[in-house]
Amino acid sequence: MSINKRIIIFFISLICIISAEESSNTNTVPNLKIRMLDGTKTTIHELVEDGPMMIDFWATWCVPCKKVMKFLDEYHQEFEDNGFKVLMINTDTPRSVGKVKSYVRSQNYKFLVGMDPNKTISKKLNGMVMPTLILVDKGGQIKWRHQGYLPGEEVEIKNQIEILINKIKENTIEG
Amino acid sequence: MKARIFSSYIVFSILFGNSLDFNSAINTSYGNNYDFYNYSENLLDINFFYNDLQGWIQYEYSNPPDIGFPINEIRKFRMEYSTGDFNLKIGDIYEIWGRGMLLNQFDDQITNFDNGTRGMFIEYNNGPFLVGHMNGSSNMYSNQYSDRIPDFNNIHNMNANRLQFDWNSFSLGLTQLRSNEDHQLTLGPNVPVNHNLKGAYISWAGSNLDFFSEYVDKVSTEYISTNAPNDTLKRGFGVYHNLNLYLGNWGLSTEYKRYSFDAAHGDITVNDYGNQIEYQQMPTLGKEQNATLLGRVTHNYSFNDERGVQLELNGSVFGLAVTAQYAHLSRDEEWRSKTTFDWVEKSIEGFLPSSNESALPYWENYQEISGYLFNDKLYFKLGRGQNKDVLKTPTYFDSQQQDRMIDSFWSYDTTDTVLFGYDYQIIDSIEVFDTTYSNPYNVESKWWQVTKAFTIPLEVNYIFENGYTLGLGFQYQERSLMDKKSGNSEGYSAADSSWEMYNPDDYSEYFNTTSTKFFNTSGEPVETQYNRLVYISISKAPKWSFTITHDWTTAYDAGIPVDPYYNPLEAIIFGDLKYFTGGRDNTNPPKWAQNRWVSAEFAYNITSSQRIAIFYGSIQGGLFCSNGVCRLIPPFNDGLKITYSASF
Repeated sequence: MSINKRIIIFFISLICIISAEESSNTNTVPNLKIRMLDGTKTTIHELVEDGPMMIDFWATWCVPCKKVMKFLDEYHQEFEDNGFKVLMINTDTPRSVGKVKSYVRSQNYKFLVGMDPNKTISKKLNGMVMPTLILVDKGGQIKWRHQGYLPGEEVEIKNQIEILINKIKENTIEG
Repeated sequence: MKARIFSSYIVFSILFGNSLDFNSAINTSYGNNYDFYNYSENLLDINFFYNDLQGWIQYEYSNPPDIGFPINEIRKFRMEYSTGDFNLKIGDIYEIWGRGMLLNQFDDQITNFDNGTRGMFIEYNNGPFLVGHMNGSSNMYSNQYSDRIPDFNNIHNMNANRLQFDWNSFSLGLTQLRSNEDHQLTLGPNVPVNHNLKGAYISWAGSNLDFFSEYVDKVSTEYISTNAPNDTLKRGFGVYHNLNLYLGNWGLSTEYKRYSFDAAHGDITVNDYGNQIEYQQMPTLGKEQNATLLGRVTHNYSFNDERGVQLELNGSVFGLAVTAQYAHLSRDEEWRSKTTFDWVEKSIEGFLPSSNESALPYWENYQEISGYLFNDKLYFKLGRGQNKDVLKTPTYFDSQQQDRMIDSFWSYDTTDTVLFGYDYQIIDSIEVFDTTYSNPYNVESKWWQVTKAFTIPLEVNYIFENGYTLGLGFQYQERSLMDKKSGNSEGYSAADSSWEMYNPDDYSEYFNTTSTKFFNTSGEPVETQYNRLVYISISKAPKWSFTITHDWTTAYDAGIPVDPYYNPLEAIIFGDLKYFTGGRDNTNPPKWAQNRWVSAEFAYNITSSQRIAIFYGSIQGGLFCSNGVCRLIPPFNDGLKITYSASF
């Protein structure tokens, strides 16, 4: 590889790393089409019309995803009155996609489940690492992004949701 | 071309910067060990969105990658225009239609499997109707001789069409795919093959029941010359059904498959072409395991010739998640050996898989209970997996044989002849052969190789009040690999063209033997291989985690590895002080170093979307499967791995 190319790659990478924190607070989530587990079709922007939303990518074979799901479902129900919702985007391939509904129903989860078997959405939102959490506000702005799950991180997840909901409340009162 | 795309993206970003949204991801990994196994993989993904336009560029600099060829260029790109009803994509296309029996495209870096198409995709949705078309070419690589460098390259020029009708919860799809393949063989020039696939799928979703069915028909022909019609190579079909039932907190998933695109006794190699093509990646009907030891005993699924059923029950008891799974698969036919190398097939009657060894049956069942206890402080997962896999049948004969008996005798013909007044006696003689057959008698000569595994994976972690988490994982496995022989014949004699009887004096005497394929570190045969994997982790959310893993086996089915590269972690754990005092002898390593692999990993979240992980130690090689694609991973001995990932 020529020196020039190395330099280009290095600088692009460096710019991305440095701007990582800032850009995660300024990007808008694209208006991607999504098919839900019940067969209905919608878009990401339609889902964030009512309030903020936490997007998470998961698969039936992913243990950390299952660990965090329980808490995300709790937050989905706890902050429902604030217009908050959780969208769990399933990335199971045709190999195991037939078991998704069975698993979700068996756990009596109330959150929304979207289907992304060929990972179109997860690639566009950089959710290839599972779980990847993306917190989006009512207008579609990405406010927080998180990769992976360590036990205990549910506290930080809840904290981020509360910060966003409180900001929305403050803006509503000021408005 | 790729440089222009990249430049266009930069110019585009500058011109439309204000209304342009983008996100990026970096995945970097580096590895180096004592076996000269080194890799450096760097991937940069950039997605951008401008009104109805979307774009994706993936730049890769890998020299060398973990698996594949060195690369330093834009690896993938795609431009997409999407309005309410219309969707156009140009670049690298990845689509799944139905459950993937006709088309399922994905890019799996871990197994180096990529069946995407570089070309164009167009889709139009009007009311209940959806029409899609794609065309382009795919460059697909596969490994056969090397673990890391692909050996074979098949090029497909393809086009595919789909028509789908949606009405409430009901969907009906018709699909078609045509591909001209340039197929690489082990030796000789590439073969031009044409594939023509037609398929249909149907689905319906209700509140307590839903189902999905898909059927695909395939004809493959070989190009001969411009003046001659193509020669039909193979015809095949595949069918898949999925019926799910829901009742309260319980869900039952049932699946059935029957793939019949090619059949052969033994492995289907690259020289057997005209069968299932790379675009066809259908459901396997096996449990996707996440426990390391269960992953190592994964069945090698056949997309060409396999049928089976799978049931999986999911439910909850006292707030804990419960799973029970069962699968039974086999080839579509049973095989009988006429001679050592000559085999005949017999279709299995009915629709269900066979249990006959010659059909290479596979069984697996897995149960798991998991969930949180003690006010969500303790998470546990306890599983139990059992499987049995008939891997091959070197001989399988169960029929009748007659011995040919040849009796000969001399026949004399005496003739008196009068000549010149004298009476002469002429005696003619001839040897007469009389071939008779004995009464038919039963002959059984069966030889098959079977592996069984019993595995218990356990995982527990406890979150303390101060935010620290202690995790413990333990996986235990008992595995056997046996050659089994039974019958009253020891095998086929090519010289006599018959099955040789175990006891030539008593055909009713049968034998039944079992011999193990496992050997311990001393080279002695052992019936059971014991595998244990222990890992202990400590973490502090949301910042860091530290894990030590110890993998241990007691037996091998191939040669006993000679591994002089044991690492300091292994030396500390097993009290080998010589390691640190300069007494390490590479030519005579301690025995325990051969069957233990110890490693440590420290992962640190730099920010919520940036993570770095540093790994040091050894990893046992073995089979790794993902999406039904399997790869033999070479061992990683006493080395360092660094991975960095960021998304923003």
